[in-house]
Amino acid sequence: MATRTDNEIRELSPEEWAQRVDEQARKYLGISGDEFERRLNAGEIDIDDSPAVTRVAMMLPLHATPK
Amino acid sequence: MPRRSRTPAEAIERYRGRTVRLLSCVTTEHVVVSAYHASDDGPHQLELADPAKLRSAHPLRLNVAEHYEVHEDADGWHVEIVGYLYAIEYEGRELVSYHWHPRGDSPIIWPHMHVAADIRVGDRWFGKVHLPTGAVGLERVVALAIAELGAKPLRDDWERLIGEAAVR
Repeated sequence: MATRTDNEIRELSPEEWAQRVDEQARKYLGISGDEFERRLNAGEIDIDDSPAVTRVAMMLPLHATPK
Repeated sequence: MPRRSRTPAEAIERYRGRTVRLLSCVTTEHVVVSAYHASDDGPHQLELADPAKLRSAHPLRLNVAEHYEVHEDADGWHVEIVGYLYAIEYEGRELVSYHWHPRGDSPIIWPHMHVAADIRVGDRWFGKVHLPTGAVGLERVVALAIAELGAKPLRDDWERLIGEAAVR
């Protein structure tokens, strides 16, 4: 059954998504998206360190957080 | 039997639509998704643009992020969730959160939850403990918010949509 909603879906390009990560990292953590990603990949931050960290970390493409 | 699609793009549109319909049970907040291209293996992302204030007598907010991939089997294409964050906040503080992030650098690769509890076990704050769970569907979190935490559903067919979302 088709169901209408008023919720909008906004599709972001990779560049727009990276900008979003940067904005959210600055808003919630006070650092740039690039710096956040560096610290996460370096092990200086753990994805479960805080709700704010988890929120921003989950915005990163999974391939950007290698094992 | 989970529904299958004829193409990856159709599978993604079906998944997006189902997820947005589910979220519309409790919020009008818009959803952001990473652009899909046929040559892109993923994973792809979907999340609420911002934590969504729920309509409730209590100050509740919902935060949602999903990672997903598109896979083909003998019956067609379908979307698989390969990571998620579902969190409910109360008074600006995370009350309960469900996490699954198996592909990052964290050694915690199983589905788990965190609860807000001002309890310490030795020097470990209980809120940081990774409580193991099975994989949790977003529909169960939406149902939790409505049925047990007092969030007002924004549509009368919320139970049907939760049932629809449970079929993957």
